[in-house]
Amino acid sequence: MRSISPVGGPGWQDEQRDDFLLSELVYVMGRRRLLVAGTMLVLVLVALLFGLLKEPVYTAEATVSVKPREDLVNNEEREAFMEEVRGAVVTQRLLRGVMRHAGWQAGLAEFTERLDADPFVTRNGETGLQVRFSGSQPEQAARAANAYADLFVARVERLNDERLAGGALAADALVERRATPPAGAGLRYLTYAALAAGLGILLGGACALLLEGRTRSWRDARDAELTLRAPVLGVIPDYSHIEEG
Amino acid sequence: MRRHYEELAGNLLSLGEDVKSVVVTSPEPGAGCTSLCLGLGAALAGMGRKAAVVDCNLENPSLHRMLGEPNFVGLTSGLKGDRALEQYGHEAVPGLLVVPTGPVTSDPGLLEIAKFVEIVRGLEAGRDVVILDAPVARRVLRSPNLSGGFDGVLLVIHAARTSKSTARATTDDLLDAGANLLGVVLNGVVQEA
Repeated sequence: MRSISPVGGPGWQDEQRDDFLLSELVYVMGRRRLLVAGTMLVLVLVALLFGLLKEPVYTAEATVSVKPREDLVNNEEREAFMEEVRGAVVTQRLLRGVMRHAGWQAGLAEFTERLDADPFVTRNGETGLQVRFSGSQPEQAARAANAYADLFVARVERLNDERLAGGALAADALVERRATPPAGAGLRYLTYAALAAGLGILLGGACALLLEGRTRSWRDARDAELTLRAPVLGVIPDYSHIEEG
Repeated sequence: MRRHYEELAGNLLSLGEDVKSVVVTSPEPGAGCTSLCLGLGAALAGMGRKAAVVDCNLENPSLHRMLGEPNFVGLTSGLKGDRALEQYGHEAVPGLLVVPTGPVTSDPGLLEIAKFVEIVRGLEAGRDVVILDAPVARRVLRSPNLSGGFDGVLLVIHAARTSKSTARATTDDLLDAGANLLGVVLNGVVQEA
C-alpha cells in the first residue's frame, strides 16, 4: 500500500539531498513545457531576425609558407625574420594590387579593416603567414584572401631576385593552403537557431525551476515525492466544499 | 474521504511495529494537521486499532474546537497532575482517544520537560498508535522532545497553501536535525473530475 517512489525505499533519509536530480529537472520542465517551449521559440525567432537584419560576415583563410634560405637557430630569430619579410613585402602598393585582383570596390581603409595577416612560427620551427579576410560574400572573402596570398608570394620571389642585385631578403614562399568560400547563410541561420534553441531551453528551464519553487500548487503524490524527495504516505483530497455545503 | 485516510493509516502501519507515536507537523499553519490527525485516528480506529490524538499545539490549540468541545482539561493538566494522560481525554469514537491541550499557560517550556514525553509515551501502553498534533515545523525543530522524543515525524503539505520551496526547506531541515521523518502527507488535493 505504501507509495512506490525512488526515494521511498529504506534509508532514503540518508541519501544526498543537495544535488539536483535530472529526473527533477525533466519533471519540472515537463510541467512547464509551454513556458520552456515559448522561451525557446521567442529566442529562435529573435536569432533568425537578427541573422536576417545583420550584414553577414564570412571569413576566409589562406596560409602562406615562408622558408628562410639561411638556417635560423631559434624561434626568436624566426619571428624576427617573419617581421622583416612582412615589413619588406607588405606595402600600400601590394595592398592596392590585392584590392584590384580581388575586385574590391570600396576604399583601402575598409579593405585593411577586414584584412588580418599575421606571421606565425610553429613549435617545430615552420614559419609563414596566416591570411584572413572577412567579407559580406563568401566568394569575395575567399577571393581577397587568395589574392593577398598570391601577391605576397610573388612579392617575396621578386625580393629574392632583387637580393641577387644587392637586396637583403632570401626566402622561399608558396601558398600552402588556399582559401575556400566559407559556409553559406543557411548553415549560419541554422547555427544561430540552434544556439538560440539551446539558450531558450536553459533560460526557460531556469524560469520553470524558479516558478516551480514559488508555486503553491501541488498536483499529486509524484509531484510531492519528486519535489521533497520523501515518500508520500497519503494524499487527502480537498473536501472543504463538502464541509461548507 | 474515508478511503484516503485508511490508505494513509495502512501506509503508516506498514512502517512497522516500532512506529507507535507520530508527531504530525507542517511547514506553515493552515495545512490541515488537526483534521488530518483526527481523520487518521478515526481511520485507525475503524480498522480495529486503538489510537489516540494528543493536541500539543499550545500556541494554537484546535483539536477541541474542531470537535466543538471545551478545553478544560487535557495535556497541560496531565503535565501538572499525577494521573495518566488517558484520564484527561475522552473517546471521540470507539477506539479513538482525543486529548486536547487543556488550559494553555504562558510557559513555553512546558513541552520541554521530560514528563511530556513520559506521559505521552504512557499512552502507548494501551494504544496501537499515538498521534501528536504538533505546532509548525520550525517550533518542532526547536523542541528536542517533539523532534526526537517520539518514533517519527509526519509532514503535512497543503496542496494549495504550502509553497514548494518552503516544503522542501522544511523537509531538509527536519532531516538535517536528525528527526525520523516518516514521510509526507499531501492534504487538500483538488481532484480532477
